[in-house]
Amino acid sequence: MHKYELIYILQADLDEATLDAAVETIETLIKSNQGEITKTERWGKRKLAYPIRKTNEGYYVLVNFDYAPENVAALKRTMGFNEQILRTSILRVD
Amino acid sequence: MTENKATERADRSERPDRGEFQGRGGNRNRRFVSRPKFCQFCTDKNLVIDYKNVELMSRFINETGKIRPRRQTGTCAKHQREVALAVKNARHIALLPFEGDFWADNN
Repeated sequence: MHKYELIYILQADLDEATLDAAVETIETLIKSNQGEITKTERWGKRKLAYPIRKTNEGYYVLVNFDYAPENVAALKRTMGFNEQILRTSILRVD
Repeated sequence: MTENKATERADRSERPDRGEFQGRGGNRNRRFVSRPKFCQFCTDKNLVIDYKNVELMSRFINETGKIRPRRQTGTCAKHQREVALAVKNARHIALLPFEGDFWADNN
């Protein structure tokens, strides 16, 4: 288990309920692989420094969690399938 | 020999800070432009290089989005490497631009 920091950008044009559901999905996804979430922080809507998928805004969520290194690639891949997510970044912090 | 090297270095430090005020191209009448003498991260231990800190990281890119060189920012080699990595991480999640004017439409 290592400490990781995940930042993902959701589409900004989703409504509150969809956003909550999306955040929830990611959390359960992490937990289902024996991951332990230590902190979740919603930065909210932010302007992107450059357009991604023709949008200029994104909803940023930061998650700190402990995870097994061999599962990280799979997590990233699964998140890539989610069309509501514009961009993900998983970095080790320890 | 060593003296020679020292003067060379001094010469280099007098190079104008092009990113800030000077135009491009050779400036023949070099004037001394003050720049930070010490690495700000070595001086201030509480200042952490963090790719999430947009306000801090944006100080290390110029108006075209490039990473500013050490001679402009004054960071030491060790911290410059960390800064460069942090800028690249910040770019990936669209906190900083890869190229182009970041401040024009943000402020």
